[in-house]
Amino acid sequence: MNVRPGVSARTSTVEVGSTTVTMYRGGAGAPIVYLHGLCDAHSALGAGELTPFLSNVAEHGELLAPALPGYNGSTGLEGIQDIEDVVWHLADVFDVLGLHEVDVVAHSLGGWFGAELALRRPDRVRRLVLIAPLGLHVQGIEVPSFFGAAAPRGVGGMSEVRGLLFARPDDEVARSVLPDDMGPDAQVRWFGGLAGAARLGWKAPHFQSRKLSRHLPRMTVPTLLVRGEHDVLLPADVARAWVEAIHGARLVEVGDAGHCLPLERPDVAHEVLAFFSAPSGATG
Amino acid sequence: MPWPYLAPPRQFLAEHEAAWVTLSNANYDPARGGALYDRYLAELVTAEELGLDGVVVNEHHQNAYGLMPSPNLMAAALARETSRVRICVLGNALPLYNPPTRVAEEMAMLDVLSGGRLIAGLVVGGGPEYYSTNVNPTEARPRFREALDLVIQAWTRPGPFAFDGEYYQLPYVNPWPRPIQQPHPPVWIPGLGSPSTIVFCAERGFGYMGVAYYAPPETFARQAVAYRDAVAAAGRNFDPELLGWLTTVYVADTDEQAVEEAAPHLAYFQGTLAAGFVGPGKVWMPPGYIDPPALVQFLGELRAMVEGDRPSDPRQAVWRRSPLVGSADTVRERLLAYVTELGVGTVLALLQFGSLPAELTARSMHLYANDVVPYVREEAHKRFAARGWLT
Repeated sequence: MNVRPGVSARTSTVEVGSTTVTMYRGGAGAPIVYLHGLCDAHSALGAGELTPFLSNVAEHGELLAPALPGYNGSTGLEGIQDIEDVVWHLADVFDVLGLHEVDVVAHSLGGWFGAELALRRPDRVRRLVLIAPLGLHVQGIEVPSFFGAAAPRGVGGMSEVRGLLFARPDDEVARSVLPDDMGPDAQVRWFGGLAGAARLGWKAPHFQSRKLSRHLPRMTVPTLLVRGEHDVLLPADVARAWVEAIHGARLVEVGDAGHCLPLERPDVAHEVLAFFSAPSGATG
Repeated sequence: MPWPYLAPPRQFLAEHEAAWVTLSNANYDPARGGALYDRYLAELVTAEELGLDGVVVNEHHQNAYGLMPSPNLMAAALARETSRVRICVLGNALPLYNPPTRVAEEMAMLDVLSGGRLIAGLVVGGGPEYYSTNVNPTEARPRFREALDLVIQAWTRPGPFAFDGEYYQLPYVNPWPRPIQQPHPPVWIPGLGSPSTIVFCAERGFGYMGVAYYAPPETFARQAVAYRDAVAAAGRNFDPELLGWLTTVYVADTDEQAVEEAAPHLAYFQGTLAAGFVGPGKVWMPPGYIDPPALVQFLGELRAMVEGDRPSDPRQAVWRRSPLVGSADTVRERLLAYVTELGVGTVLALLQFGSLPAELTARSMHLYANDVVPYVREEAHKRFAARGWLT
């Protein structure tokens, strides 16, 4: 399986306040917003490429995938000091795109931000799918240091970070996304994304908000949580803590996948779309 | 102040990813550590006895490379044990101190304690420090600039005053004591070549100290030219003393002897102790600490250096990165050529490096101080004057 499906995104930039946001779009129909993860479209992958997962999503609606600040040319990272800044930035992005009460798929880092957005602006989010979300701190559960693993090497070598992100770090999917001999353009995109991730994620333990567990019970947006069974950045106990905290949330465990679940299991798009199209009574 | 008891590079890198951040402190033996502090401090005191102009201490955390998480403690000891040399703390990593007025206080103490001999090095801190302290590396540079302004105001503005910054807010800035040197001790900033740092130093009248000792001297030469250009662009007169070059120095009776004696200790320094900062293995360079294109360039240069052709002649292999290893004649001619061509008025000679033992360090220091420095100092002074650099 290759991660390059040959489906190009419609790439554009939109001005949001004083910042520029790089956008990928694909498909047509009802809007579906995708908030990307640590290693995803907008970071390691080639410019303007949809992942197979996103191509699958785009077959059923208009996919809108903004690059978070710091990623893939999106600016405004210096204006991000805390989670409020990200939430209001995303709300501004939704405003500029004319999005109200839309379905949101949010992965990894984007999962954290998407949950925080849905908590504060439930008017913007109709239903929320969190795939391998970061963000939740559970006392006593130790998660390996992503930024330690992602520190560069003098001579090649992305095996350590691949090992954290993928169930099968030596397979073609992982190696094609994070090759040991990454070219300079891909490196610039990757390191820019790491800076974007570090802005709020650096505080130790990385990507864990101590406030989020107190806020999650306030969630009113119907939520589905998807976890790869080999995900070391979202341990099973933390995934359970997510769905226990959110009223009515459901957890789906997916085999053969690590943190980069959308890359390793692009077919999960169908599960996501089924959640969006289910009658409201069936979301719990 | 290195820890000299680790394995040589090849063996070390087979067992460890780096000598920074994650190398277990179980490898540190306090009894040996105490003896090392005695030895290294004595060597710095010897520098004064030999007539050198200054001594330098630096700050690094959680590593075997440099055993001075607090260089200010060492500077305090040196302030009492010396009476003439400048004492340069190069430097305190400002973003790691909160509030950074702590640095203003300690450095003012050192200046007063030493009778006005402090040179105040202020630094962003190396990449590994951000992993070790968990300070956010994406804020490193703006925090550094703001903290530097705060420290200089703390030294120069009569207190109390309020400081209302983006990162630091203090209702009462009013440190006692104040420094002896007015308006404040000289400020030197070490750098690995970042253009923005070079321009910043030039515009503010701060010294720029090129500290990429592990790279070939051409790397520093480009920084020196950039600094002089930036000083001119800022409309300032160039003062060679504010342009510094950190480089390893080893002097013996002959070139062959010098190379043979220094080579394993240079290799240990550059290959074992620097692993984690540079080298083929893990490079603790945190996200957002430098711009992605600059990071990609840094990694490219690093890779070229690691994979570069290793000359089979042992002298060429050493001289490629460490040209000031040789007889007194060789070292003084080379040093004179570098400093006069580049306008370097401050040579930060690494006279002890890696695992270089005490006897070899002492012999080399004597040869350097007696047979190299007086000649280079006098000749360089004449040539700087001829170029209009001394006013």
